[in-house]
Amino acid sequence: MTLRIGIPRALYYYRYFPFWNAFFETLGFDVVVSRPSHRGLIDEGFKYADDDTCIPMKMAFAHTLNIKDQVDFLFIPRLLSVDVKTCCCPRLAGLPEMLKYSIPGLPTILDPYVDERYRNSTLLRSLSEMASALGKSSKEIKQAYQKGEMAYQLIRKRMEQGEKIPELFEKAGKKNLSSPKNDSEKKIAVVGHPYCLYDPYFNFDFLRILEEAQTSVYTQEMVPKEEIDSEIQGFGKDIYWSSGREILGASLHYLRSKQVDGLIYLTCFSCGVDSMIEPLVRRKVEENGKTLYLCLMIDEHTGPSGVLTRMEAFLETVERRKTNRRMA
Amino acid sequence: MKLTVPYLGHIDIFLNAMARKIGPEFIFPPKTSSRTLLLGTKYSPESACLPFKFILGNFIEALEAGADTIAMITDHGPCRVGMYDVVMQQILKDLGFQFNWIVMDDTRILGDYLLRFNRERKRRGVSFWGSLQAIRFSWKKVRLCESIERMAHKMRPLEVGRGETTRVQTDCLKLIDDAMTLRELNFTYQQCLKKFDGIEKDISKNPIKMLITGEGYMVINPHANQDIERRLGEMGVEVTRTMWFTTQITHALHLDLFNPKSKRKAIKASKPYLRHNLGGECNASIGYPILYKKEGYEGVIQLHPFGCMLEAVAKNILVKVSREYDLPILTFSLSENLSETMIDTRLSAFVDLLQKRRERSKFISSPLVGED
Repeated sequence: MTLRIGIPRALYYYRYFPFWNAFFETLGFDVVVSRPSHRGLIDEGFKYADDDTCIPMKMAFAHTLNIKDQVDFLFIPRLLSVDVKTCCCPRLAGLPEMLKYSIPGLPTILDPYVDERYRNSTLLRSLSEMASALGKSSKEIKQAYQKGEMAYQLIRKRMEQGEKIPELFEKAGKKNLSSPKNDSEKKIAVVGHPYCLYDPYFNFDFLRILEEAQTSVYTQEMVPKEEIDSEIQGFGKDIYWSSGREILGASLHYLRSKQVDGLIYLTCFSCGVDSMIEPLVRRKVEENGKTLYLCLMIDEHTGPSGVLTRMEAFLETVERRKTNRRMA
Repeated sequence: MKLTVPYLGHIDIFLNAMARKIGPEFIFPPKTSSRTLLLGTKYSPESACLPFKFILGNFIEALEAGADTIAMITDHGPCRVGMYDVVMQQILKDLGFQFNWIVMDDTRILGDYLLRFNRERKRRGVSFWGSLQAIRFSWKKVRLCESIERMAHKMRPLEVGRGETTRVQTDCLKLIDDAMTLRELNFTYQQCLKKFDGIEKDISKNPIKMLITGEGYMVINPHANQDIERRLGEMGVEVTRTMWFTTQITHALHLDLFNPKSKRKAIKASKPYLRHNLGGECNASIGYPILYKKEGYEGVIQLHPFGCMLEAVAKNILVKVSREYDLPILTFSLSENLSETMIDTRLSAFVDLLQKRRERSKFISSPLVGED
């Protein structure tokens, strides 16, 4: 019987799933992903989660709870840093233990270190440590790693061209959301942590709202890394969170290049990274003065009307400004 | 140059002592008040953590009082304290203040900061030996201040007249701050000891021992934690805290190798519960209760600002530690909406619980009740 590896559909699933999926499948494991978020699943999981953490973290609890009985191993990588000279939110690094001590009856957790802060080649080593404990040879592991890397690069490229993550990850291959077309009426950039942007339950499917309003959506994944690196110079300090860098760099890029009419920053309540990055973005928007800005903070409310109202108002403002400009 | 720094325990006494000998001039923010917090909250990003709001409020008040240079500590993640200086600088500039900004970065501390210090020393014509003496003197001062505080922690639950220890403590700290020479300092300390001896106390009491751990700023600064030590002391609890100004410095300089309660040892003790050292005080918050449990401490209070990234991890794991070591742990998540009543209520409930536990364990461990 093949071993089943469980991956919760939460947090950095929305970025690195293609890699993990290809890696484990090449090694001959079954990959089980938790169901997409829905009310029952989330409510059940929130009972186990600590009330001081942010909602994406609580959702990780919920998704772990959802698959814990169907799998032999849980894959919760310990994300310390995904790039040189950056680090991740510390909650991610403590996640394996937080889950272990909060949810009873969990299967064994595989928690390889992902720590690229000082050197760029530690991932293969920690993954092979993990996989060789499961009885795989180093040749197989290397091959799987390369497959994973390839799958990730492929997805990354497609994201740069404007495809959105949830659709890319569905194996059935649903129809894509509209990729940016130049003839489209309104152009909106959305930034935020990937797990905020791409979980339709969490953000009330706001990408869909945008699409239905005939907007073309620009995401931070569409800004190349070199561009981000050059944009965030001039703060007198390295922005050390990799997610924060990406959000700030992409926002500055869109503000400066005047590619878009509006910028939406999606954040969640009590996010530590956003609490420091958002003021910087806001200030740049004020300096720039041309782009409309909406900061949408999502908390545990279950009604979509708050988000809907603000989105509608925002889109209408964008629309009106465009018409005014055309009239003038 | 009129320098100001954020409050961190007795840093004001330390730097004032140094400034009198070798400069530069310090302007400390006025004592943190409700106005400080109000200012801080008004101009901070809404979801910034509580230390940010306090420090920003302090800086605004210090700039109003005439400071022109701000020295701010920073680091390189993952805690958001590393981003404080970028965001704060912007906010203060937007408010129209003129100031210089010095970043005390631990990677640059040896080069840039020591050079700056050296330049300042030469400008004032203080000899190198003299400056070393001044540092030693200030260090001693701050050590004595902390030992006064430790004494007060021990004395407060035993005092007969409520508030007397606090009064004596305030007097003593003032005296120490005023001492000018090493001789005077030693003499003052003896005087302080006498003062403490003079407090009327009830030795028959056996106070509950409690540890205060958690995020550094909240633990060290009485204004941030609503004077939780005094409150507990007056409820008849002997408290100890994990973080002092001196321990922070000795930890940073690796000088606490022989201290059985050093942060490093606490981090080591937390290893079975949290594999990786996340940074900040997260691992120490997990490790300290384990270290202190072995000394017979009966309860732990974990303090952290609401939304703290690191302490939320610690809080989750402390649940497990609490169960395994049979050690009650109360977590306070503090935000700017502090209410004294809330704190008092929760504290007294916790103290009651510990008292009940004590009675029960006495009952269980000695079945021959009534013999004495």
